[in-house]
Amino acid sequence: MSLNRRTLLSGAASLALPAFIRPASAQGDAIKIGVATGITGNWSALGAQIQRSCRLYAKTVNAKGGIDGRPVEFIYEDTQGDPAACVRKTTELVESRGVKLITGLISSPESLAIMPRLAGWNALYLAPISGAGSLTSTAFVPNAFRTCTSGPMRARAISLWLAKSPKQRFFTIAQDYAWGKNSLATFEKLITDLKKETVGNVLTPLGTKDYSSFIARIREARPDVLYVAMSGDDATAFLKQAGQYRLSERMQIVTEVLDLFNTKPLGDAGIGLHGISQYNYAHAAPANAEFVRLFRAEYQDIPDTWEGEMWQTLEFLAQGIRRAKSTDANALRGALESIEIDSVKGKVTMRACDHQAEQPVFMARLDKDPAIPYPTAKIIETFQADAVIPGCRKDTY
Amino acid sequence: MNAWQLLLTLLLNTLALASLLAMLTVGLTLIFGIMRIMNFAHGALYMFGAYAGISAARLVDSFWAGLLVAPLVAGAVGSAFEYFLLRRLYKRDGGSFLLITFGWALAMSELVRLIWGSNTRDVQLPEILSGIVMLAGEPFPMYRVFLVVFGSATLFALTYAILRSRLGLLIRSISQNAEMTHALGVDVGAIRSLTFAVGCGFAGLGGFLAVPLITGYIGMGGAAIIDSFVIVMIGGMGSFLGSAVGSLLVAATQSFGNFYFPDLALVVTYLLMICVLLLRPGGLFGEEE
Amino acid sequence: MNKTALPLIVALAAAPLVLSGFQVTLLTEILIFALFAMGLDVQMGYAKLFSFGHVLPYGIGAYVTAFALLHGWPLPLAVGVAFVAVILLAVPMGWLCTRTSGVAFAMLTLAFAQLGYAIVFKWTSLTGGSDGLSGFVRNPGPFGFEGFVSREGFYWLTLAVVVGALFLAQAFMRSAMGTAIVAARESEKRAVALGYEPRSLRVVAFSVSNAIAGLAGALHAGFLLFVSPELLHWALSGHVIIAVILGGAGTLIGPMIGAALFVLAQHQLSAITDSWPLVMGVLFIAFVIAAPKGLWGMQESIRARLAHRKTNRMGVTNVAP
Repeated sequence: MSLNRRTLLSGAASLALPAFIRPASAQGDAIKIGVATGITGNWSALGAQIQRSCRLYAKTVNAKGGIDGRPVEFIYEDTQGDPAACVRKTTELVESRGVKLITGLISSPESLAIMPRLAGWNALYLAPISGAGSLTSTAFVPNAFRTCTSGPMRARAISLWLAKSPKQRFFTIAQDYAWGKNSLATFEKLITDLKKETVGNVLTPLGTKDYSSFIARIREARPDVLYVAMSGDDATAFLKQAGQYRLSERMQIVTEVLDLFNTKPLGDAGIGLHGISQYNYAHAAPANAEFVRLFRAEYQDIPDTWEGEMWQTLEFLAQGIRRAKSTDANALRGALESIEIDSVKGKVTMRACDHQAEQPVFMARLDKDPAIPYPTAKIIETFQADAVIPGCRKDTY
Repeated sequence: MNAWQLLLTLLLNTLALASLLAMLTVGLTLIFGIMRIMNFAHGALYMFGAYAGISAARLVDSFWAGLLVAPLVAGAVGSAFEYFLLRRLYKRDGGSFLLITFGWALAMSELVRLIWGSNTRDVQLPEILSGIVMLAGEPFPMYRVFLVVFGSATLFALTYAILRSRLGLLIRSISQNAEMTHALGVDVGAIRSLTFAVGCGFAGLGGFLAVPLITGYIGMGGAAIIDSFVIVMIGGMGSFLGSAVGSLLVAATQSFGNFYFPDLALVVTYLLMICVLLLRPGGLFGEEE
Repeated sequence: MNKTALPLIVALAAAPLVLSGFQVTLLTEILIFALFAMGLDVQMGYAKLFSFGHVLPYGIGAYVTAFALLHGWPLPLAVGVAFVAVILLAVPMGWLCTRTSGVAFAMLTLAFAQLGYAIVFKWTSLTGGSDGLSGFVRNPGPFGFEGFVSREGFYWLTLAVVVGALFLAQAFMRSAMGTAIVAARESEKRAVALGYEPRSLRVVAFSVSNAIAGLAGALHAGFLLFVSPELLHWALSGHVIIAVILGGAGTLIGPMIGAALFVLAQHQLSAITDSWPLVMGVLFIAFVIAAPKGLWGMQESIRARLAHRKTNRMGVTNVAP
């Protein structure tokens, strides 16, 4: 009677046991970096950018002997953008695989979910994507660093650029979640401070497919400028449909996130679109020229925003490790604070008080580049860090 | 824009959106009507068809090629799945169908990413579809006009086929009483398989038609399943007319709702469904289960 | 069945002594999901109410616990108040939803769950919106009791709650009301003739099911120390339905095993391959074809066949399996 029960239980147990066995790390002294990102699922397009940069980085750096003679080893885990899965995977990375350096997280909830745990793990997290202002203000923890441009910085740069324009009437369309709402609020405040007029705004639910009603609303309001605080697939859909409704003939369209990811599907119809090109492939910095060259050789395409931002994150990490001569969290934290690196965006410094990287922000216009088959972002103005960065531990101006 | 112009714009938007939604839903209705299964993999087929259509369109540089290939590929995949796997479950309970179509959806979505990669994919519209039409003094995209025309024509043809052809008669009789139809000597199995394939084909067609509006991206299937389930429920399960009316109703709610009450945009469709289900649990045109 | 249960419970209780820290974390997560699935089985397996909105009580339980913990309430109290809140909401909602049945019921529960998702998502001042709530801990108490604050301690608390809930659910299903619920689903007319009110019975089943889900959600908040709208996403409703079907609906234990397998499969497969959803999908398909009654049904039929073989060996023939 008990034979089959035992068989069933041992069968189930044998499924469970390998869960707990992991391949041993290849090299003992390798620098292990955990990348918990969206490999499959709805975030996989962004996750693919993260992985491309990391793989290229590992290949390039290890060919030169690694960082301070230690090879770099990336360990990739799939979170599908879910915070609970992210916590699970990073917990496993830290506790079972001895990883103390974490990066690659895509969504802000994922970042917010793991940040309180970093101290207990004695691990560091470098955020390459999360733009939410709270990461370096209300949710700040000493073990987390944000190396990319933040949402508030982008909104600030755009309003500075618009301050010089004679346009008066502004309408904002933003995605209805934390980042979009924050951008909307930041932008509207900056516009009113400039004594210009906000003629309306609309928040669109995540996953909206048909934007025709929102476009109708925008047209009704008759703005001079439409500010778009959207990213990802929703932004692609909106920009496409806005193009089909010839919205740009009635108003100037400025988008907070001018990614190739969103603009490639527009083709030539996207020419004239303005926005922040957080990372720009054509920016004249020596480190950038080298990165673009390596990237094109490996992937036959120019790097997009997150590929560039991820590379910058890794550069920070590498320089920090060299400076600290260690990967110990305390030493590395100290080394990263106030470090200045020669990045793909030029000289970038890590601000010690809130761990936000101080960097230039590029205002760009989508234009044709003879060397590239599709329109790309051409920098029309560069805003220096001190002009756009919010106060210490703040996300407002 | 005065009030009339606005109304016209919103109505046209409604029609275009309804056409898109109807393409998405009609496949699900067909399958449910005749087989009483909710195809969990509907969204994945939608995505698979879209990507296959995009590849075909790019290969021969023709949008129309994609329009043809998308339903054919999705139908073929559906047909194969039904023949080799689904068929074994007809004697079982609903849970088995849920599980198997769920597994199918998981596998197929990942297959799309493996075959085509995670970058978004797009298709070029032909000249005649990429222009605008001036309606009420405002530009209205030609492609949406095409959606209305194509959608209505397809639905009309399908309804005609269901109501007038012998095959349609058989389909209707099988959905009403499969046993009796079988007893009359009809090959119920073959017709079921055909209907399933056609239903899947429509999912693929819906996916490809959506590409010029939203591009092809990983995850486009996810939201599509929920939308189509909701419309099928509102319209009444297994009712063709129900799908059409449900699509119009949902499209109207979203178009007008998003314009006047954008705050409620997330919930307006669900509020509609709750109202319908509490008043008429079988949906507007469905029969009570 | 109790013969299997006791050694298994003992093994699970002893687990933290032999397993590593992360493994205990994973096991806690599995137990919580198992409780969630077991709750669904009460309405799905026994009352044949297919709920597509099971995330709603789960999410409410989690968020209420998070609020309470943020306000300094001790963990047991926070879980308790979440449990009560979920029940208070489940009864009227159950009454409303049971006006319909079958697919309409499923879609109604989905609609309410989507409404819940939208409210949580948009009401940023209360729920933290899309960023969720974090920064709370497992507050000790009452009387300064700190047993559950550590990882192992919380694991034991979860295990105790899950085992307790299982026993109570089993007792409930065996009780007069439980059997009435099953009777009502088998034949409404007969149930009415016997003096039962099928509608009220369904509401009871719905409420019990939701209460268990709320408990699971509360434990989840205490476990993850983070809540976000993803907890109310419809995909999770789908996953828990799959867990129930996988394990075998109507058995209470089956869904728990199904849930464990679901989490383990994801975990295992993602370690082997990037394309784990593909492998998992194929496995599910193969599983459905091979095991019509789910895992629990499968072990029952194995047991029956072995018993049959045993009796045959003893010289008895023509015994019904």
